[in-house]
Amino acid sequence: MISVTPHPHLDDRPSPAWRYARDSILLTGRSLRSIPRIPERLLDVTIQPIVFILLFLYVFGSAIHVPGISYKDYLFPGIIGQSLAFGIIGAGVATSNDMTEGVVDRFRSLPISRVSIITAQVLAQFCEALLGMVIVVGFGLILGWHPHLTAPHAVELAALMILGVFAFTWAGVFFGMLVRSPDAMQGVGFIVIFPLAFMAGTFVPIAGMGAVPRAIAHWDPIAALVASVRQLTEGIHSSGSLQLDHPIAAMVVWCLIIVGICVPLALRRFNHMLTN
Amino acid sequence: MANSFRPTTAGSPPAIEAHGLTKRFGDFTAVDRLDLRVEAGTVVSLLGPNGAGKTTTVRMLATLARPDSGRAVIAGYDVVTQADQVRRLISLTGQFAALDKNLTARENLILMARLRGRKLAAAKAVADELIERFAITEVRDRLVKNLSGGERRRVDLAASLIDRPRLVVLDEPTTGLDPRSRQVVWSTIRELRAEGVTVLLSTQYLEEADALADRVVLIDRGREIAAGSPAQLRAQVGQQRVDVVAGDAVAFDRLAGLLAESFETTLLPDQRTISIPAPNEAADLARVATLVSESEIPVDEVALRRPTLDDAFLALTGRPATEPELAPQEAIA
Repeated sequence: MISVTPHPHLDDRPSPAWRYARDSILLTGRSLRSIPRIPERLLDVTIQPIVFILLFLYVFGSAIHVPGISYKDYLFPGIIGQSLAFGIIGAGVATSNDMTEGVVDRFRSLPISRVSIITAQVLAQFCEALLGMVIVVGFGLILGWHPHLTAPHAVELAALMILGVFAFTWAGVFFGMLVRSPDAMQGVGFIVIFPLAFMAGTFVPIAGMGAVPRAIAHWDPIAALVASVRQLTEGIHSSGSLQLDHPIAAMVVWCLIIVGICVPLALRRFNHMLTN
Repeated sequence: MANSFRPTTAGSPPAIEAHGLTKRFGDFTAVDRLDLRVEAGTVVSLLGPNGAGKTTTVRMLATLARPDSGRAVIAGYDVVTQADQVRRLISLTGQFAALDKNLTARENLILMARLRGRKLAAAKAVADELIERFAITEVRDRLVKNLSGGERRRVDLAASLIDRPRLVVLDEPTTGLDPRSRQVVWSTIRELRAEGVTVLLSTQYLEEADALADRVVLIDRGREIAAGSPAQLRAQVGQQRVDVVAGDAVAFDRLAGLLAESFETTLLPDQRTISIPAPNEAADLARVATLVSESEIPVDEVALRRPTLDDAFLALTGRPATEPELAPQEAIA
């Protein structure tokens, strides 16, 4: 006997909204469960920032002087911005990996809500990036970072972080579906996101950079992110361009733009992949 | 033609009915105006070489690819406009195991059962029954990425049968499989058929189509080139033969004379081969081998040769199969 239960009737189907929620949760759980089983996936969002912290704090840090602040307090907001940006690469690689696996075909041939597949991808990557963020902040606190946070600023910072992770995750998922392979995603990340993350006033002040990187940094979304975190945690105000004068507002605008562009494009791309 | 596509309310509509199914990738036409009709409860084999369009056809029927033109209806439901209903009636087992590598075999089965609408306890019960049925008990808690190809295929097949599908689509399920796992696949197909489930089986092995199918559809370059029962196919392609390859030209002449006394022989002097029909398979092989070895004439090889896909193409179309890639590594013959 192969059949275990009778075939479900076609008409006792749950409502589409319920089905969407159920399938999204099941598929998110499935992705999260694999995190401890492929530890290298978490490396991007944990070990990498920790290596940068140690390098800049104890190797390069002594040669970098930022007026009016200890380098440790200057560095941590930068690291937070950088690891958030690297989350794009992580989400892209994971998505690209998943889309090239046969298991997505299986999901697609099941009578489930198809948008739940991409929703779960975003939710799982979002959780992973948040987890990485918590680890990085915790590591910073252990090493003696003292953010000068008031309670309202802490709430504002947390909200901004969640918005940022959400937007960057969508960007990563979209890129992940666009590239041909996980390796290609790594390549794109290294060529585009790596320099943007370095030029964003992450490790050294933008004002001291050469003309070209300075001009890029003035409009780099990661620079707005780093400047926002620095403003909220250390009370340091950046300047130099419209976005750096108002980094928090700029960060919110950037996130809305990224979400506004990446969500419809990612869904469109996903639908395209479904039919071919 | 389009009129015949109305979902039938009375009686049993064909499990699959496709007309003019076409799929292009750029300039390449993978499936070219293919017609296909599969009656409910039968096993139909799509037989063809690599690149013939088997996988693309299967993917269109399983709602994973959208036809550029033509229509396909599964049990009365259109694969494009009623994809959701189609997905409830079919299961697809693709060429590569469609499992999450980072979950265990059991976790995979539970997840698929839950996605098909079962509650956790019911999903676990189904998973455990399938684990037993497919003899994967000893590896059920191993991550799929650590399973062998054959074990994966069995888990994959188990996952396909969670709900009783009315149509099971298997895309080259035995390519590259070890003999034991192949046996599991074959016996599963026979059991499904006995239960009245329709099976569409794509394969590049003539022997597989012959052993399992009620009807064989030979396809090449995205088109049907012949169709019929395995018996019709066999009648046209010819039977299995015993080939005796002589050690040299003198031996060839002596063997030809010797074997002609007892058998109906076909001589292929270029290959120093004497070919003999072998309807009784191993028994005929044994008779020929005994005769040859008693004669002490030098031979290179005495072998039972089953007709291959190439023989079928040659017999039915007068030309060899278009084979862009290498032949399968694990030939069945």
